[in-house]
Amino acid sequence: MTETQQKPIQPDPQAKMQSINLDVWFGQKQVLKSINLSVKPNTVTAIIGPSGCGKSTFIRTLNRMHELVPNAKLNGQVLLDGEDIYAKNVDPVMIRRRVGMVFQKPNPFPTMSIYDNVAAGLKLTGAKKGEDLDDIVKKSLIQASLWEEVKDDLKKPGTSISGGQQQRLCIARAVALRPEVILMDEPCSALDPIATAKIEKLVIELKQNYTVIIVTHNMQQASRVSDFTAFMYLGDLVEYGRTKDIFESPKSKLTEQYITGEFS
Amino acid sequence: MSRIIDRGLEEQAALLAKMGELTFETLETSIYGYLEGRNVKTQVREMSDVLVAMADKVEDQTFELIARFQPVASDLRTIKSYMKIGNDFARYGRYALDITSIAEQLGGLTQCEAWIQQYLSLMSQKVLFMVKVSVDSLRRHDVTLAKTITAPEREVDRMYLEFLNKLISDASASSKCVASGLLVTRYFERIADHAVYVCESIIYVVTGEKANLG
Amino acid sequence: MNLNSYGLRKFKNRFFFVACAVCVVLAVAPLVSILWEVIVRGAPQLSLNFLTATNAKDGIGPAIQGTLILIGLTSLIGVPIGILSGVYLAEYGNNHFGSTMRIINDALTGVPSIVIGITAYGVIVIGLIGSYSAIAGAIALSFMIIPIIARTTEESLKLVPNNIREASLALGAHKWKTTLRIVLPSAKSAVITGVLLGVARVAGETAPLIMTILGNRYFFQGLNEPMAALPLEIWRDSLQAQQSIIAQGWGAALVLILLVLSINIIVRVVSRGRLRK
Repeated sequence: MTETQQKPIQPDPQAKMQSINLDVWFGQKQVLKSINLSVKPNTVTAIIGPSGCGKSTFIRTLNRMHELVPNAKLNGQVLLDGEDIYAKNVDPVMIRRRVGMVFQKPNPFPTMSIYDNVAAGLKLTGAKKGEDLDDIVKKSLIQASLWEEVKDDLKKPGTSISGGQQQRLCIARAVALRPEVILMDEPCSALDPIATAKIEKLVIELKQNYTVIIVTHNMQQASRVSDFTAFMYLGDLVEYGRTKDIFESPKSKLTEQYITGEFS
Repeated sequence: MSRIIDRGLEEQAALLAKMGELTFETLETSIYGYLEGRNVKTQVREMSDVLVAMADKVEDQTFELIARFQPVASDLRTIKSYMKIGNDFARYGRYALDITSIAEQLGGLTQCEAWIQQYLSLMSQKVLFMVKVSVDSLRRHDVTLAKTITAPEREVDRMYLEFLNKLISDASASSKCVASGLLVTRYFERIADHAVYVCESIIYVVTGEKANLG
Repeated sequence: MNLNSYGLRKFKNRFFFVACAVCVVLAVAPLVSILWEVIVRGAPQLSLNFLTATNAKDGIGPAIQGTLILIGLTSLIGVPIGILSGVYLAEYGNNHFGSTMRIINDALTGVPSIVIGITAYGVIVIGLIGSYSAIAGAIALSFMIIPIIARTTEESLKLVPNNIREASLALGAHKWKTTLRIVLPSAKSAVITGVLLGVARVAGETAPLIMTILGNRYFFQGLNEPMAALPLEIWRDSLQAQQSIIAQGWGAALVLILLVLSINIIVRVVSRGRLRK
């Protein structure tokens, strides 16, 4: 970490998203400490670490969702295609259309049908008027590997399907806005192993069209789905590298202890 | 904090330590038998079979640990290397058996020229030393000790080539002694290589580096 | 296990059940007896003439019309203000101003209706308009209904899980759109219940009406004129000596109850139908 403080971090022209010296406080408590991380396009990056290490907060800073927490304060930069999303003239709403998010618990809109849930983003933002809604809904559901299961029930409430299907519905809802980056905050933690396997397969398919950043408690999941892995601990980014390297020969003793389950 | 995978890893380590001892004993028996003209083939065959069976057991345990605990990082490196070391040790046993076969077919070394006897005795000491280094660095997971293997390895390689040249230039040696010495030094050279592999595995287990000590 | 203690536990269990049942009966009995009394005494009065004619012709038409107008006007003023205040308190009221407003709102709920009536009398009837008037009554009732609706709206919005809001915001929806299109519809039935509760509560209010709309023997004369209303009708009739007029009072009471009940049912059916669609 001392190394990063000595030389200024340069924007990485290859990165889809990059955080530079990112500090975040909630009130008096510093939850992220000078995070420097650069994510390449069309990859899956997993963020692992024990509870409270700041991994969820970190991905929330990537689409400014952390601002919903009162007293949140941020220092540093987050670049999306080289542009700082925290610059003065940037509207967080526009960032969230480019950087979608899937949450821990499946959260389809309870008052809406499956169809309306997928179309919700377009309707709420009015972003893509004139486009064929039916077509976008179908394509999004296909991308989320849900079309075959729900194509005859599009008018049913979004909450009437199983938890795993609901989570894929939420992915379809995010995908419908054609974002560039999809953030996933422990998307499988409320799902059974079979539903989890489906989501994992989907994550790998999604990287053809999107850049995916996924927070997970499940280290095996991180090793299965991701190309790069970041390990965070107490607000620090301890280690970041190729998933193969992290899980075979981590450089940091702390990473080693965490992934082998030696943490006390 | 002790984890459930630790029990399996400790079991493997204990098994390999036992293999290490047996390996050394087997090579000693075989080499001294050869040098001193005793037929120890039956004894060495038994020991070698035990080593192969133990190597199989290490392999089985490795697969069980992978299937049940999804090891990563140092755990993954350890069990991968343990399996490899088990095979290296089984090879030691096989070469020991091969040496006794030479002794049986071509007769002992006692009828050969003194310089050949001396040369092989000297080389065998080097090789046994290397095996000891490999077994000890495994038992203690000692990277520093493992790294010392390079010097004797170079020495053994050099001696092997030197011995070849001498045999060619010394026309007086009997063909039996030439064939026997040639084959046995070749086995010595192979054993030394496996000692190097074991030491490289130790370094990989501890540091994650893929070292090249040869 | 000790068989005796098992028996004792079983007894305790049954005792608790019986105690609860008895209390329910105790609570409901007066209500049922009132309802029974009103039905028995009021039902014979019901007739087309009674419901449509003026007082002069032994009817309570003006009172029914007046109450309907009052409910309509009050809802027109009170429901939007109440719901929007509730939305503010729930979605934006997490600050000093919000909590102050919340306390004031709660205090307003507890203000006796006669006080509101007097205030409306002083400010509107004497001050602004200069006479008893329908609009003054509607405003007075609005003051009563706004805090109720605001409070229930706030409570029901707070029950909407936060992850629904996050989902909408993460799609790039603005906060106001999230509230209007996602949060409010999720809490719709609870909000409607709150509104109905408020309407039912004010529909039977008498005290503020005495000081604002005064009462009238005629059909609607204009927003700036006095107006009849069912609670006033009931109150006035009950003070009369003539048995026939007292009986008309019972009839009016039954009509008031039926009116509130039917508003309740209609709104529920309509809102449920929308949800299905």
